[in-house]
Amino acid sequence: MLHTQAVFSLIIINKAGGLIYQREFQAGLRKLSTNDYLVLAGTFHGVHAITRSITPKIPLAPTTNSPAASPGTSTPAASSYSYPNPGASVSGLDYLESDKFRLTCFQTLTGTKFLLFTDPMTGNVETIINKIYDLYADYVMKNPFYQLEMPVRCEAFDRHLGAWLRGRT
Amino acid sequence: MTVYSFYIFDRHAECIYKRRWLPRPTSIVGKSGQTPGAAPVGLGQTVKAGDDDAKLVFGTVFSLRNMVRKLGGEEDNFVSFNTSQYKLHYYETPTNIKFVMLTDLKSPSMRIALQQIHINLFVEYVVKNPLSPVEHPGGIGVNNELFEESLEQFVQTRVLA
Amino acid sequence: MAAPPRHSSMMATNAGAPQSGANDRQQVTQQSLTPQPTQGLRVPSNRKTIYDRHLNRSRNAESSRASFAYLFGEMVTYAQRRVTGIQDLEKRLNEQGYPLGLRLLDLLFYRSTSTSSSALSSSSTSSSPPNRPLRIITLLHLIHGPLWRLLFQRSADALEHSVSPDTPNEYMITDNDPLVNTYISVPREMSMLNCAAFVAGIIEGVCDGCGFEAKVSAHNQPTEMWPSRTVFLVRFGDSVMEREKVLERNGVK
Repeated sequence: MLHTQAVFSLIIINKAGGLIYQREFQAGLRKLSTNDYLVLAGTFHGVHAITRSITPKIPLAPTTNSPAASPGTSTPAASSYSYPNPGASVSGLDYLESDKFRLTCFQTLTGTKFLLFTDPMTGNVETIINKIYDLYADYVMKNPFYQLEMPVRCEAFDRHLGAWLRGRT
Repeated sequence: MTVYSFYIFDRHAECIYKRRWLPRPTSIVGKSGQTPGAAPVGLGQTVKAGDDDAKLVFGTVFSLRNMVRKLGGEEDNFVSFNTSQYKLHYYETPTNIKFVMLTDLKSPSMRIALQQIHINLFVEYVVKNPLSPVEHPGGIGVNNELFEESLEQFVQTRVLA
Repeated sequence: MAAPPRHSSMMATNAGAPQSGANDRQQVTQQSLTPQPTQGLRVPSNRKTIYDRHLNRSRNAESSRASFAYLFGEMVTYAQRRVTGIQDLEKRLNEQGYPLGLRLLDLLFYRSTSTSSSALSSSSTSSSPPNRPLRIITLLHLIHGPLWRLLFQRSADALEHSVSPDTPNEYMITDNDPLVNTYISVPREMSMLNCAAFVAGIIEGVCDGCGFEAKVSAHNQPTEMWPSRTVFLVRFGDSVMEREKVLERNGVK
């Protein structure tokens, strides 16, 4: 169970797909140039939207002969299918796994995306991401000098984030 | 578990095979659909609506694979991703053929399964088939009976398992 | 719902969940004035306006730290408009705090007397008149202790007199982690700025209200342990220093 708490890095993408924060915590992934990170953020933003749009659609009933199979549907064309997991809202990529890392994506209701790169064995990624969102809400959004959608340069955010992650292991 | 769809992309980024399943494992929604006139009965609508799905799927896995290589190094492999609705599994052969499968969230890792499809089905019934061309533009050579049937069988056993 | 806190208690915040002074609610206003149907003033359905409440009602009430952070953030943003530089911005923040200090002083005296009287007996309304600080040290202790507790629910961290013989009129009050700066990261290009200039303004208001002419400014003095440590430099005017000498000679405490 050694090194199973590794958190490699964090990326924050604004709602337009722009990179507004990037920070490495532990070595493990290759270092990219700032430009590469910008491209990565933009690409991920697009891919995230596509992964949402390719969600499989399950036909509710055979379209040709459905006697009273779907009563009360005002627009049969639109409601002739459902999603695999009707209990949950349709989301884009939640997490991705590779041999070397796990990428967890958390999208806020306002469209900001937090991308956390961790060791594939790291547990409780959800908790970590929630805490990061917490700190973001506190030390970024409550900072009068932070301009919305712009790169995050908040020393207090960096400090608290670093301290919390260090204290966690 | 449920398998929703399965795609094969060749090294030219072309979709050479595509198959979709209804959630109920017995009924086939549509086959590759590459050959005109082969529209499945009754559910042609569904297939048409998702005709360019293959392109989107390719774009997605291609971008994610590049991203994984960039961050994890050349020897890292993109394995799968989850959304709130489905799970996408990815396997790439050394010859750059990409196998993609969309399943429900309960599915275990399908990496070995995709590898088996490559070795036991694709190589056996497509590559070794003397009648099949080297490249498969438009899916020629892949959509042969042996391959399709054994794939169907393979997925069935997985689904029931 | 928590009672809308009056401005004076706005900063008495705590990390915990906001608590309305629920137990205070019982003792509020027996003297409910015959309510006049005033058009301009918003009167709650129970006819008890903010003026009908006992001044001590919000004494132990807390307001949400987040609400305060957003409000103060907007105040800083507002002050930042049309300013020419950091000094100008600090001056504006100071000016926002100054009237608050003047008004807060009355409440501070009121509460410090009513506490002592209510400790003896709740019915007694006659108590010793509030002792207005006459000497600098008394005033500074008032700021360091009761004022800080009223605002931030804790005392300030240090109180010092300038060691330099050239500036005997300078005193320093230190806060290791000013509440107003909790969520604020000052951009590097404005590193001199300290938004606690607002608190400096409050202190200045309190000093002035007591009859001590003073200029108060906030300065960053970070340490490794306390990155947002702030020193409030209080500089008393010449008239104050002169009076101080006279009072000392006469043995006034």
